[in-house]
Amino acid sequence: MKKLLSVMVVGLIVLSIGTLVAAGDPIKIGICQIVEHPALDAVRQGVIDSLSAAGFSDGVDVIYLVANAQGDMGTALAIAQDFKAQNVDLVVAIATPTAQAAVQVFSDTDTPVIFAAVTDPVAAGLVVDADDPSGNGNVTGTSDRIPVASDIALLKELSPDITRIGIIYNPGEANSVVLTDLAVAAAGDLGLTIIKAVADNSANVPIAAQSLSGRVDAFYVTTDNTVVSAIGSVVAAAEEAKIPFLVADPTSLASGVTLATGFDYYQHGLLTGSVVQQVLAGKKPSEIPVTYQSGGQIVLNLDAAEKIGLVFPQTIIAKADKILLGGIEWEKAETK
Amino acid sequence: MALILMHAAEQGLLYGIAALGVFITYRILNFPDLTVDGSFVTGAAIASSLLVTYGLDPAITLVIAFAAGAIAGTVTGLLNTRLGITDLLAGVLSMIMLYSINLRIMGRPNISLLRADTIIRIVQRGFHSLGIVGVLVFVALVTIAIKVLLDLFFKTEIGLVLRATGDNERMVIAQGVNTKTTKVAGLALSNGLVALSGALVAQYSGFADVGMGVGTIVTGLAAVIIGGSLIRSRKVVWMTTSVLVGSLIYRIAVMFALRYGYVIGFQASDLKLVTSLLVIVALVIPAFRARMERKVKPC
Repeated sequence: MKKLLSVMVVGLIVLSIGTLVAAGDPIKIGICQIVEHPALDAVRQGVIDSLSAAGFSDGVDVIYLVANAQGDMGTALAIAQDFKAQNVDLVVAIATPTAQAAVQVFSDTDTPVIFAAVTDPVAAGLVVDADDPSGNGNVTGTSDRIPVASDIALLKELSPDITRIGIIYNPGEANSVVLTDLAVAAAGDLGLTIIKAVADNSANVPIAAQSLSGRVDAFYVTTDNTVVSAIGSVVAAAEEAKIPFLVADPTSLASGVTLATGFDYYQHGLLTGSVVQQVLAGKKPSEIPVTYQSGGQIVLNLDAAEKIGLVFPQTIIAKADKILLGGIEWEKAETK
Repeated sequence: MALILMHAAEQGLLYGIAALGVFITYRILNFPDLTVDGSFVTGAAIASSLLVTYGLDPAITLVIAFAAGAIAGTVTGLLNTRLGITDLLAGVLSMIMLYSINLRIMGRPNISLLRADTIIRIVQRGFHSLGIVGVLVFVALVTIAIKVLLDLFFKTEIGLVLRATGDNERMVIAQGVNTKTTKVAGLALSNGLVALSGALVAQYSGFADVGMGVGTIVTGLAAVIIGGSLIRSRKVVWMTTSVLVGSLIYRIAVMFALRYGYVIGFQASDLKLVTSLLVIVALVIPAFRARMERKVKPC
């Protein structure tokens, strides 16, 4: 009930902002993303939906210029320059290279640049300080950094037999490298070991997964785009080795992973949309700290666990938001 | 409009340096060299790490980037001439090796230059009186200087031997010249230019990314082919000019496709199709024109 009330209040505030802005010319928002990818597409959709829910109707109050660099960094730059030439009022840049291109191009303007789906905005040079925005100029945004340490802790909780965790990642993805380094540090704190295997493209994921079997007690995959796109091959290797597999992508649950954590990228888009709304309401990016995505879920696949002879501890089942059993997804019932 | 043309021109000129490199291997040496997808990143990687980690002068990073690219080209050349690996495969092998090496050089997949004092920033300060065209003027000066140096190089003895090697290797061997050495030299020069282009593009874009070299060979070839179909000449001066013109047209076409493509129902994902079609058209035009000329002539 409390939640509902706060949603209504926020909705009302947002609606009033929407009507205020609607009086003038439509706001021009440039959205660029680095590549076609389900997660990144979901972020884009989330941003647009968040704004329309707030009363910014597409074509009337806002005009979206949507562009995709198709994985080409030169094109990412060209898109940002095109946005600048078209005098956009605000830029939403999805993923690290697009955000870097936008920040570079708009560095000599006051146009707000809102990034999304960036794991480490400070290392990417987008902002100087994630928590203190005063020196960040016209840039702010959202980070999709997953809580790697709690994922590692979850694996430890899963079974005391798990001491060696195998991570498969693409060394060419900036986000994965950051997350893998975090995992190594977190594992060290818990007295666990991380064994890494690299796959520089999705075709090399099977061999990387197989190279780990027999040497690790569990598989862990972060939000690595390359590995997640070939998740089935890691599932196969995990089943063969009869070890659990945790992936930080809840949408991968049905593919046969043992358990998954993390958030839906559509939610990340909504979060980014809320930052955009703050800026449209007159707040400066230098007043908004980087927002980290929260609200991660834990989802369990009991069918997959049965295959490898694993029984989830009661403590983990109690924490789960969703369970897959007998091919059916069971949502956690709301308890008062 | 003028603004996007200006930016497209900046990019066309910067990538034009890489296209000149591709021109040396593809047109002069007749050697389809795929090393460039790797050496472009090598240049960006070296320049960025030197700039960020060691705080080196950006101009010096460009020189070192050129040298690193030249080494990469030399390796491809040696694989081909000394170990007898076919040209295509030698290039592919170098390209793959460079992926790992580039990651080693950078220490991570992406280096941000957004807070670094890049050569572009220095130019923006130095050419302040020129306003927003300052960067374009600088980029044009650098690219044209490289083109002129290249033209002069092809007039020297070794430059002439390089051209002859591509045209008629047997004849050059008959003159007592070791074509293996000239091939290696050509590949070194080519990849040096590509790496220099990568180093400049990284500083211009504000970051180096291990994935930024994908397609360098395609855009380079597109520039060579589009330019070659417009300016047909056997003179090196005109050939290098045509490469830069081709690179400019390619970038402007990409910019137009991005900006006005929606008018013809163009989607973002169609971009690569459109740019490849542009190259196909450029390839077909000369043959088509030749056929037309033949028809017109009386028998």
